Amino acid sequence: MQLKKRSPAELRLGLMAATCALLVQSAHGQEATDTTADGEKPLQIDAGALYYKENAGRIQSYDAIVTVRKDFGDEYILGLNAAYDSLSGGSPTGAIPNRAAQTFATPSGTSVKAATGAPVTYTTASGRTVAQLSKVSVYTAAPGTLPIDSGFHDQRVAGDISWSQPLGQNNKIAVGGHLSHEEDFRSASANVSFSRDFYSKNTTLGISASTEFDNVNPVGGIPLAGSDYTKLQKGSDRTKQVTGGQLGLTQVLARNWITQVNISYDSSSGYLTDPYKIVSVLDSKGAITGYRFESRPESRARRSIYMGNKVAIGSSVLDLSLRHGTDDWGINNDTIDARYRFNLGSDDLYIEPHLRYYQQSAADFYHLYVSSPGVLPTYMSADPRLAAFTARTIGFKIGVKLQDQDEVSVRVEAYQQDAKVRSSTLTGLSGLDLNPSLQSFICQLNWRFSY
Amino acid sequence: MSLQQLRTALLALALISLAGCSSLGIKPWERDVLARQEMALDAYPIDTAFDEHIYFSKEAASGGRGFGGGGCGCN
Repeated sequence: MQLKKRSPAELRLGLMAATCALLVQSAHGQEATDTTADGEKPLQIDAGALYYKENAGRIQSYDAIVTVRKDFGDEYILGLNAAYDSLSGGSPTGAIPNRAAQTFATPSGTSVKAATGAPVTYTTASGRTVAQLSKVSVYTAAPGTLPIDSGFHDQRVAGDISWSQPLGQNNKIAVGGHLSHEEDFRSASANVSFSRDFYSKNTTLGISASTEFDNVNPVGGIPLAGSDYTKLQKGSDRTKQVTGGQLGLTQVLARNWITQVNISYDSSSGYLTDPYKIVSVLDSKGAITGYRFESRPESRARRSIYMGNKVAIGSSVLDLSLRHGTDDWGINNDTIDARYRFNLGSDDLYIEPHLRYYQQSAADFYHLYVSSPGVLPTYMSADPRLAAFTARTIGFKIGVKLQDQDEVSVRVEAYQQDAKVRSSTLTGLSGLDLNPSLQSFICQLNWRFSY
Repeated sequence: MSLQQLRTALLALALISLAGCSSLGIKPWERDVLARQEMALDAYPIDTAFDEHIYFSKEAASGGRGFGGGGCGCN
């Protein structure tokens, strides 16, 4: 074979071209190893910031979450999650509005105790026996308004870690842990799940279990459940445990439709009372004669069935979910949640309206107020979250895709909760809105990027 | 839902999955639509986390979707 003799210039050009070709090939090879089988980059970071505000001087909060998902290839995936919340404002105490102003002690209030541990009492000019109090600061609810301790503030930090990997052919196992800390509450939980794919990965069956340990250490101590509020009888911290399980089925129904059905059960035990909530005590005409700390059962079992769907309709996507739940406190609940994502232009921009409807029945021991004289119930709570109510959410999200899976988005939503029972036939309460609606507003920013 | 109803629902779920699912589904080369990022069942976990945190603190029900809610003194 006769080799053609090249000039030094031609040789340099040829070597440059070969080097470039190798570099391009090398870059392509690198890209192939830096993306997973389904085209996602191996490190995905999601960051979100949320502003939440309720009406009538209730809660407002600033929340932030960062999640990191690292794919080591072959479906070995590490998940990390950190969250921070800063809350201020106040929640309803459970006491109902009154025609006269009402004065309450802040949660830090405790009674003076004798050496025996019993509260030291004295008799007022009107003949009532009340505790001698120490370290008590007070707040006042104006006539006709819902009592809210607006001096509340707290911060919460939480972290999650999860690991999932294949376990033989068609099986996957995942484990996770969670820790969170607030001034008056600490929580630790762990979960494990196992899933198996069937029928060319069109069907997945999963089973999972979780356990949670909480420590409740409220400001001022744990009130004696059901006791007279004016005596401020309080004890030390308490704990509660939650154990749960879930069975899940994920099924591809069509080329554009995937559905998921979960059946869940959890059982809680320990201190399930809210240490900051009280119940108004009324006489037969509706005049307020006092208050009691609320008292809840020390166990609760909840069951729910959930169905989620993702349906592609052209370039748009419908996300529709339904949930029905029940528990042995007598609370039945139903939720329907729908989001519809319109992809606009060349799919780089989307807008997603969101509607949600929720309803629940009241807990068996929920009372707007209790009446005395007469025997007070063993369990009683006026917490509006245990009342019968309906709730609606309306909102929308706008997102812009940047490159690959990267995107930024903004979400704005409004939420309203309306109690079913808001008035009383008692003469002393006529014309008062005893359980006013809750309205809240959220604004959320999201940022997703990947390497 | 009573325990008996729960057992019935579980049995129904198992039967559906075993008997019905084999005839459902798509071929591996038909997964183009389901592979879209927004078709993931939990496409935006941050939205889910914020929502579950808010609804957990304002309503008596929570979870159902996965390990949602909990770990908060707000309820």
